[in-house]
Amino acid sequence: MSSDPLEIPDVLKPIENLLKGVTVMKPGRVVALLEPGDVVKAYVALKARYGETGLYFSTLVATDLKDEGKIRIDYYINVLEKNQYVVLRTYVPRDDPRIESLLKEAPAALPGECEAYDLLGVVFEGNPHLRRAFFVPEEVAEKDIFPLRKDAGV
Amino acid sequence: MTEEVSKVDKVVEIPMTVEIPVGPQHPAVHEPILIKVYAEGEYVVKAEAYTGYNHRGIEKLAEKKTFYQDIFLCGRVCGICNAVHADCYVRALEHILNKEPPPRAKYLRTLVMELERLHSHMLILAVTAEIVGFDTLFMHMMRDRELIMKAKEIVTGNRVLADYIMVGGVRRDLNSEKMDKLKKILTKVEPRIRYYWRVFEEDVTLNKRLVEVGRLTPAQVTSHGLLGPVARASGVATDSRYHDAYDAYAEVPFRIVTRKEGDCMARSLVRFEEMQVSLEICRYILNHLPEGEAVPDERRLPRRFPEGEAFTTVEAPRGELTYYVMSKGGVNPYRVKIRTPSYNNIINTVPFYVGHMVADVPAILASYDPCISCMERVTVIDLRRGTRKKVSVRDLARGEA
Amino acid sequence: MAKIPLLKEVVKLIFSKPATIQYPREETPVEPDARGRQYADLSKCVGCSLCMIECPPKAIRMEKIPEGYEVPKRNARKIYPVVDYFKCIYCYRCVTVCPTKAYVVTNEYRLASDAPVNSRELSLSTLKKASQEPSQGEGVSKQ
Repeated sequence: MSSDPLEIPDVLKPIENLLKGVTVMKPGRVVALLEPGDVVKAYVALKARYGETGLYFSTLVATDLKDEGKIRIDYYINVLEKNQYVVLRTYVPRDDPRIESLLKEAPAALPGECEAYDLLGVVFEGNPHLRRAFFVPEEVAEKDIFPLRKDAGV
Repeated sequence: MTEEVSKVDKVVEIPMTVEIPVGPQHPAVHEPILIKVYAEGEYVVKAEAYTGYNHRGIEKLAEKKTFYQDIFLCGRVCGICNAVHADCYVRALEHILNKEPPPRAKYLRTLVMELERLHSHMLILAVTAEIVGFDTLFMHMMRDRELIMKAKEIVTGNRVLADYIMVGGVRRDLNSEKMDKLKKILTKVEPRIRYYWRVFEEDVTLNKRLVEVGRLTPAQVTSHGLLGPVARASGVATDSRYHDAYDAYAEVPFRIVTRKEGDCMARSLVRFEEMQVSLEICRYILNHLPEGEAVPDERRLPRRFPEGEAFTTVEAPRGELTYYVMSKGGVNPYRVKIRTPSYNNIINTVPFYVGHMVADVPAILASYDPCISCMERVTVIDLRRGTRKKVSVRDLARGEA
Repeated sequence: MAKIPLLKEVVKLIFSKPATIQYPREETPVEPDARGRQYADLSKCVGCSLCMIECPPKAIRMEKIPEGYEVPKRNARKIYPVVDYFKCIYCYRCVTVCPTKAYVVTNEYRLASDAPVNSRELSLSTLKKASQEPSQGEGVSKQ
């Protein structure tokens, strides 16, 4: 499962110049570490290479890494042509989590972005649908508690 | 509900829009979701989904419970597709533990998941028939679905909630007596499915209501991340069983069913053909079940997990289901992220109601196979695509907009 | 085109027995190994509380075995699990984690009741009543 971290897998060739590192997540998902500002560029490059029907945006996972003071955002993209999952991984600071929205390029990112905003407070700039108290009870939302943060105490 | 044009002081052609709530009590399936449809005459001009009638916060709860308790929690995210949820989660745990289940267990897991696909597809096809006004067919299909529920009871010990999959294997084994019973059930079910398939293909009512309704193009499917039979009916061959080749799917022969049309009828027929494939898979498994151990001793499984993360996918009856599990060591997972197929399929398809007749909205919703309890374990979304600004007819009339 | 024999099917069904099971006049057929009520066999239980710790919905509570029963010696703390059947999700995790395999499983699925239902009586029925006065020491008598 483990691979040479220097070797760039085939599937990531279109975004070679943006990569800050490559790892592998079990089972066999290629993880591309990116700067927060490069995620949209990377997605556009992948889409240009594999075509509109050659890949789809699958899942957005935001994780609170409290000890490191960061929030990690993973974009899971299924590249149908290569039959492989690509993970675009980036870190944003925990006290001011902001990242450009992927909504224009991938409408499929909508539920994931709204959820990450409501549960972890990650602001996706350019997404007009973000709103607090989607599901958290209003009194929790008013206190600015993000339930999936580790110190939320929910 | 009706917004009247109060006064017109400009010569502007203003369409009168009627807001029609579809749901939340019984929009298509017996599950709560509200789709607000704005109609001009008989045609939908805008649609919004309001969800949140069924939220439970399972992801946070999963962080507080142990890895093993979460297996049963994940199985209860959704009643209909409970074994696939558990399988996806358990496989993530197995990747973290570097454990491989024995081949017999893999086959048995596959068998249960295919039985689940069968009864899930039968349910939604029956509901589709009910939605378009064909209640007799609904009753007949639900009656024959009971046979498959019985098959599931024989394998797992419960007709709905399987609780069948455990780290390192399954929780019950099959003996030859049970296998004979299962084979009998499959033989009984197959002609029924073929019969209903023919009804769907030939019946006038169903054809009038489903053909050319709710058409999706392949580009719409991929850009909006639609999954499962919805995607396959539009000619996009996504199937996690093939992409990931998890459990026994690497060895069991099966084919990906696709159609080109992309309408409601195509989605129904894809499901029928998939049921046929599922029956073939079940039969193959019953005839080729490997020998050996399948049931791990749960008392000997490791309680503490090493650090690690895994991202697993499963082809649930409704499409690709993904789990992300992260462990920082210890007995509790650090993060569990569940992305269910309905989550994408329902929320992202709301803009596609535009341009259809109001009466078709429930039929289209049913053809996406919504599973609200899957979708809403985490979130509530107000969705407005296209024009973001809410322009009421009244404002338009006053020339304010 | 519409000449599919659905009408024939319907007519046939009018004269056949209803597919619905006429419960409670008729028994619902359940598999002998379906997951129904389970309870601890106290002659095997050692009172380790593992089932209580592992139970996903926290439906199991450990209780003191009341006076007047012959408690096996190895159950030193004299406690036993009581399953609250209204909370129980019948996942049988308690059955599979039990180190002494003390749980007895049944396919009893009828749970509706006004009063709370738990496994207390079922579990205690597996123990013999003490024939003599309950002593204070550990382990009342040998089986």
